[in-house]
Amino acid sequence: MKEETSNNSRRKFLKSFGISVGAAGVVSSFSLIGAAKAAAKKPAEMVNLLTQDGQLVQVDKNQLRPTVNEPLDELQKRGREGIPGKSFVMVIDLSKCRNARKCMDACQNHHQLRADQHHINVLQMQDAEHTAPYFMPKPCQHCDNPPCTKVCPVDATFKRQDGIVLIDNERCIGCRFCIAACPYSARIFQWTEPKDAEKYKDLTYNIEANVPQKKGTVSKCLFSADRLREDKLPSCVSACPNGVYYFGDQNEDAVTNGTTGETVRFSKLIEENAGYTLMEELGTKPRVYYLPPKNRAFEFNGDLLNEENLH
Amino acid sequence: MKNTMKNIAALFLIFVFSGSVVNAQGWTVPASAKKKQNPYEATSKNISSGKKIYNIQCKSCHGDPTMANMLPLAPVAPTDLGAQNFLIQSDGEIFYKVNKGQGAMPAFEKTISDEDKWMVIAFLRSFDKNKKVKQQVAEVKNPEVTDVKLELNVNEADKTMLAKLSGVTKKGKRVGLQGIEMSFLVKRSFGYLDVSGEDPYTNESGDVQIQFPKDLPGDREGQVNMLVKVTDDAFYGNLEEKRVVTLGVPTDPVNPLDERAMWGTRANAPIWIIVTFVGGVLAIWSVIFLVLFQMIKLPKLAKSKD
Ligand code: SF4
Ligand code: SF4
Repeated sequence: MKEETSNNSRRKFLKSFGISVGAAGVVSSFSLIGAAKAAAKKPAEMVNLLTQDGQLVQVDKNQLRPTVNEPLDELQKRGREGIPGKSFVMVIDLSKCRNARKCMDACQNHHQLRADQHHINVLQMQDAEHTAPYFMPKPCQHCDNPPCTKVCPVDATFKRQDGIVLIDNERCIGCRFCIAACPYSARIFQWTEPKDAEKYKDLTYNIEANVPQKKGTVSKCLFSADRLREDKLPSCVSACPNGVYYFGDQNEDAVTNGTTGETVRFSKLIEENAGYTLMEELGTKPRVYYLPPKNRAFEFNGDLLNEENLH
Repeated sequence: MKNTMKNIAALFLIFVFSGSVVNAQGWTVPASAKKKQNPYEATSKNISSGKKIYNIQCKSCHGDPTMANMLPLAPVAPTDLGAQNFLIQSDGEIFYKVNKGQGAMPAFEKTISDEDKWMVIAFLRSFDKNKKVKQQVAEVKNPEVTDVKLELNVNEADKTMLAKLSGVTKKGKRVGLQGIEMSFLVKRSFGYLDVSGEDPYTNESGDVQIQFPKDLPGDREGQVNMLVKVTDDAFYGNLEEKRVVTLGVPTDPVNPLDERAMWGTRANAPIWIIVTFVGGVLAIWSVIFLVLFQMIKLPKLAKSKD
């Protein structure tokens, strides 16, 4: 007898539950249809888009959807593994830098950074009182013995097999140990909501571009790891108008100039121009090489804000 | 009111434009610089290497010579460097302007070597209607041919490559094509590495042989992707041959993650860290347990003493 009642009540419960869920479903679908109709009725607002083959087309704004990316798991996995068989290096020719700052703009566009946040920064250098000043772009050095990954307590920043050091901002707890550990001041902290946070909020996190950025986490240069996957040069390298950057695979002993597209032997370039790395006495083994600012192509103007001097 | 505004705007525009015109024309070249002559002869070799340099350094703004497809920059668009009214200038004048630059034109004094600049000037001169005759004398004449073929021979033992360029004459005979520049390019991640060497021009029988660099890395088996082509499409169209050759040094990419290191993840921490850490934890816990066991023994001890 007891059993029966309990059964009954369960059935009753299920029934009423079913009805209410069904009703909710109907209501919500109604509202969806309503919304869709409303959207369709609205005077169509058109936006101009550039298709992949370079055609300008107009699309109804209501039909825009964020692009479907690889799922987060896949992005995270391949981001951790890196590209097998590669060993990326960058060469920066200081004799050609005239502070055009196109690299910085391209980088900030790519990685959702504000104008005051730098993955790469062009510094004005003067080594001693009587030495000549010069400009020096400074990205993360992607050290082969990186102090930053040693101190991370949650395994958020790590080195991959192709030599690139990345940050997983899904794991990062914002302790900023790595910022303190990096001798090159390559890392920045997102103190506030990142730029365009609204615009990117639906985007799946791509560890190889560190986009969307997240408040309370650390960010830094990534050698545009997402572009490398498509055999494209990093954003900064291809944006430079003065042929400052070379980028390539050390395993192939070849680096390509981002401006001229010329490919040269990496070892020869370093050997013939007395290439060096920054603060090698620290034993961090950087992957970014510098060619000395000898026989400079441009005069040092030392005036960052004077646009006239930049062109 | 409106009118005055318009007037001011118009005045301003005039001012801006006149300024830019002055800019474009006010390119003063010292007389001594004008007198300079191109020290390099207008041989087909020099012209074709000038073309290569032109395509890398100048083409992005100036477009192709005589095609007037330059970048439409404002207020002054780059000049068509194949135009006759440009080529009126002396070699030295062009050389000076390339060196010094002006406005949007960069100064190439230190970014391109003097030799390269003269090569570019030789290339530009080949469009000069007044001087063209002279250049054609220097060029090797190949018979008119059809069905041009590019054959490749690879010698893996001494790492050389032989390319043969030939075509069929009107009489139906296959002959070698002479004096044509070839490019031997090795595919790398972001571009092609030129391994053509100093003198990649075909000889009388249409052959050109190059020495592949002895220390250029290939993949695990030493294979590299080669692209061999006639450098200048203007002769016989786009003639190229792709081939995978085993001329590179076999290279096993090292995975830095294979090594146990401090910077690595937990999975490849150095042995000494694992041993010290595990040892430390074990030691501490055993001390704690030791103390606990002793404390459990206390009441028993007290009883037995009674
Ligand atoms: S430069 Fe700084 S952030 Fe980059 S790998 Fe080296 S220590 Fe880490
Ligand atoms: S700030 Fe983030 S990445 Fe840096 S050490 Fe802390 S958790 Fe790791």
